[in-house]
Amino acid sequence: MANPHSAEPVVIVMIEDDEGHARLIERNIRRAGVNNQIVPFANGTAALEYLFGEDGTGAVSAQRALLILLDLNLPDMTGIDILAKVKANTHLKRTPVIILTTTDDQREIQRCYDLGANVYITKPVNYEGFSNAIRQLGLFLSVMQVPVAD
Amino acid sequence: MALTEISLIRRIFVLMLAGVLSLLAIVGLTLWLTARVSDHSDEVVRARNTRLLSATLLSLLQDMETGQRGYLLTHDPRYLEPYEHAKPQVDETLGRLEEMIESDPSGPAEARELRETVSAKIAELSETLARANAGDDAGALAIINSDRGRNLMDTIRGQINEIGQRADGRVRDRLDAMQQSTHSLMLVSIFASLLILMVAATAIWTTTRYTRELVQARREVETANASLEARVQERTADLTRANEEIQRFAYIVSHDLRAPLVNIVGFTSEMEAGLGTLQRAFAAKDNEAPDTAALEEAREVTTTDLPEAIGFIRASTTKMDRLINAILKLSREGRRELRSERVDLGPLLATAAASVQHQLDEHGARIELGERFPVIQSDRLALEQVFGNLVDNAVKYLAPGRPGHIRITAEESLSGVVVEVADNGRGIAANDFERIFELFRRAGTQDVAGEGIGLAHVRALVRRLGGDITVDSELGKGSRFRVRLPRYSRHV
Repeated sequence: MANPHSAEPVVIVMIEDDEGHARLIERNIRRAGVNNQIVPFANGTAALEYLFGEDGTGAVSAQRALLILLDLNLPDMTGIDILAKVKANTHLKRTPVIILTTTDDQREIQRCYDLGANVYITKPVNYEGFSNAIRQLGLFLSVMQVPVAD
Repeated sequence: MALTEISLIRRIFVLMLAGVLSLLAIVGLTLWLTARVSDHSDEVVRARNTRLLSATLLSLLQDMETGQRGYLLTHDPRYLEPYEHAKPQVDETLGRLEEMIESDPSGPAEARELRETVSAKIAELSETLARANAGDDAGALAIINSDRGRNLMDTIRGQINEIGQRADGRVRDRLDAMQQSTHSLMLVSIFASLLILMVAATAIWTTTRYTRELVQARREVETANASLEARVQERTADLTRANEEIQRFAYIVSHDLRAPLVNIVGFTSEMEAGLGTLQRAFAAKDNEAPDTAALEEAREVTTTDLPEAIGFIRASTTKMDRLINAILKLSREGRRELRSERVDLGPLLATAAASVQHQLDEHGARIELGERFPVIQSDRLALEQVFGNLVDNAVKYLAPGRPGHIRITAEESLSGVVVEVADNGRGIAANDFERIFELFRRAGTQDVAGEGIGLAHVRALVRRLGGDITVDSELGKGSRFRVRLPRYSRHV
């Protein structure tokens, strides 16, 4: 995964409360040959702090090349809150957000796309499907271009 | 007493019947009295005629006597004129008088006697005149001197007088009777009029009362209709809310149960992959040198991957077990039959406060209770759980760095009571006000252990008691949980 404007490699921000899921996602991304740094967060509060900085303006993410992997069901807030905040922020709005969650509720999916989600992937219980999905996501990540936030 | 339609109709009918009967009585009595009056006046006329005829008869007889005396003295036929004139009339007058009195009990006998004396008198007069005409003046005088004529005349006078007096008496009696009848008629009229007035008044009163009751009943029906609509709306809102809760619950449960399942399946597959690596490492035949790279990989699998996978699988099964237990607990709580009893909120809240005293002392925090708490009808155990949970939460989420202060107060409203549990803790962000009441969901920094069950349980309980719970909070300042409870809990 490359960043055309800067030498700095893209950082994958993984917001996933379930440690097991996080581990499985990381493994499968690595298996797909994506070696970018993955920064994991187990809850929304910590993730927001990382993305928006202590002042909450998002200025901290300017010049960062990020890609967000987001679970919707977090212990302290919903992923939709985070998605809305990211897409409403001047510095972060172009950052790709990939929703990776267990729910396949149609309204939820529509809502995420309405808010500006780039990709919505359902975690299948069937592991073949799960790892396939992640690996394909990995392949996808390896070719996609990520803009630098400004 | 409420009037039914049938009893009203019956009552009105009876009243009208009474009125009609009174009127009929008045009319009947009046007719009877009128008949009596005309009867009386006939009688009065008859008595007057009797008097008149008696007088006429007497005067005729006197005329005849006068004529007789004049003729006897003068022998002048002119003096005989009154005699001749009166004679034919006597019989007629006597006949009419007889008619008048013959209806009296003693009438016919008197009439007979009168006719006999009158005949005797006329015979005496005729005899004297006959003698005088024959030239026997002395004989005629002798008859007169015998006082026969005078005696007869006296008898006639007496008889006529008696007849006249009896007629007078009859008139008097009749007048008395008439006066009495008139008096009776007046009394009956007054009584009947009063009765009719009473009947009319009662009828008016009954009808007015019935109409008023009808209006009242209609008003009640209208009110009931309106409140029925409100009740239906309330129930519909309850049902909609319950339905949404169930959907939300199903969504949360399916998601939360699926998450560990994904782990179990995923790490089982990882273990399978690890097993493949191990099998490859130990696949070398005895005489072949072991594949060092494969052995290295196998070491990695046995020391890192497999323990990690087993750890996640175990954690996931534990988590699933915990979730299932939580769901079971909620379901059991939801099935528990609520018992309505008299609950004094004062002691109940004091107990809830006392149970966290130890933790408060540790944190240097204090809890304060309001002065007055109402008594309500509700389920004691449910209330203990509700307020126990709220107080626990208030203690659990105190803001670090400032002395905690929890305050429990109550206020009464028209619809019920509101108990407020306020703290100066860390507070809750506005967009989490709904989320904190959802099952397995929590808000804010996750630095305190918890399952995300407490408030979901609290809200379910409060709603079962017929109330509701809301939160008002500012992040970093504190929270206020308001529990609205009905004074008399309805149990569904």
